[in-house]
Amino acid sequence: MSTLSDREISPAILESCRSGERDAFRALYDCYKDRVYAITLYFFHGDHAIAADVTQEVFLKLMTNIVQFRGNSEFSTWLYRLVVNCCMDTARRRRPAAAVPDMAVLAAEAPSQEEEYARAQTGASVREAVSALPPKFRIAVLLRYFEGLSYDQMARALHCSMGTVASRLSRGHKMLGERLKDLVGPKG
Amino acid sequence: MFTRHVSRRLAPYIDGELDAAGRRGVEDHLAACATCRLAYGQVRIGIESLDRLPAVAAPETIWVALEAALAEQRPYPARTSGWRWAFAAAAVVVMIAAAWWIADLDAGKWIVTDAATRARVAVGSIGYVDVEPNTRIRLLKDRPEEHRFQLAHGTIHATITAPPRLFFVNTASAVAVDLGCEYTLSTDDNGSGLLRVTRGWVAFEWKGLESLVPAGAMCHTRPSTGPGIPYFEDAPESLQQAVDGGPDGLNAILEASRIRDTLTLWHLLQRVDPADRGRVYDRIAALTPVPAGVSRDRALALDPETLKLWKDELAWTW
Repeated sequence: MSTLSDREISPAILESCRSGERDAFRALYDCYKDRVYAITLYFFHGDHAIAADVTQEVFLKLMTNIVQFRGNSEFSTWLYRLVVNCCMDTARRRRPAAAVPDMAVLAAEAPSQEEEYARAQTGASVREAVSALPPKFRIAVLLRYFEGLSYDQMARALHCSMGTVASRLSRGHKMLGERLKDLVGPKG
Repeated sequence: MFTRHVSRRLAPYIDGELDAAGRRGVEDHLAACATCRLAYGQVRIGIESLDRLPAVAAPETIWVALEAALAEQRPYPARTSGWRWAFAAAAVVVMIAAAWWIADLDAGKWIVTDAATRARVAVGSIGYVDVEPNTRIRLLKDRPEEHRFQLAHGTIHATITAPPRLFFVNTASAVAVDLGCEYTLSTDDNGSGLLRVTRGWVAFEWKGLESLVPAGAMCHTRPSTGPGIPYFEDAPESLQQAVDGGPDGLNAILEASRIRDTLTLWHLLQRVDPADRGRVYDRIAALTPVPAGVSRDRALALDPETLKLWKDELAWTW
């Protein structure tokens, strides 16, 4: 897992974004797009269409309102709040149809080599296990894994205490571990 | 001596988020507790399993759509075409000839719409307020840390994208505090009003009372009592009527409530007569498991930490 500090956008680019420079927006988008997309994709059970919509919504809000932000820390907090709010709001709107893992994605992505196929199957099992987590655990696990947020940053993004973050991550990871114990052994 | 189980501190322990004392506490407990050792192994597997998730890349079509959407938003916002932008009471109203939004509404100025007009007001750079017909509203403060309006009467629709507690709307009996959201707020001159939230959350506050209203829910406010009990728009009709003051209120609410209506019950717990709190608690507990850390005694005593912890758990069903 790479951490956020490896890949944060520079203050200069943020400043250019505030001035409305298109190239700076593109640089900012390129910096975060894959992580935001991955979170939304795994949050919405591998549904690429929803993930694309939610990712677009996050960046549209970000770009429309970026002028108000000063300093990297505030910007980051805001970005993660946007991701959380957009995911949760969309999940609420889609509640009745939400929870079916998209196995077609796996089939389309399955490689021909046996070893790679096995790896893809393992990935799909992990993805299904993540999909089965309750939304509050799922978003916490995904934020931690893809963004490498500290517990303090997660607490601000999730509107809860650090204790609640710790509890959700512990319970979420335990659920994953219980489900995947035959598939994924501890390293080392 | 045997200490409390540490299952909820295992992730921060593995992630290195505990201080030295916290780490020692977990390690001492793990040495003595087979249950938590088992849980520790499961959490480790859970964390490490995420490395098996396939990497994904955002498709380029998102950027294309983004550029198109941004282009549509200039001038801001495109979907307002067709509205009539006109304002009565010229002495107190900002008029912009041929404009379709008000860029710099000065604090203190009123906007008054008649039966045939609407207006759109930019809220700094964090969103906008649509002012519906027959509405009177003014800007009280317009600072980066506080955008505050006063709604005297009528209806507004607010669309805000910002960190919480930057945007406020005062009415005669409640203050709507934006927590990152979109909502419609109506009120009359006496302060009777209705808040309907369509995205995110709004806190409806007045003199120490607070009603938290999530997307899909609504909440009345009245001059004598302030913000009422929120309920979901899809809640059973009998529940809605009971919350709005129908006969046999508490019994009807308890009987009709679904899991999602713990929104209503959680607020009700804090507003009913102390003698009735136990019935509300029991109904919530019957609908959804009470989380660790919430005890009946502390909940009935309205302990703030307990209520918050419980709300945080219940909110995932709201």
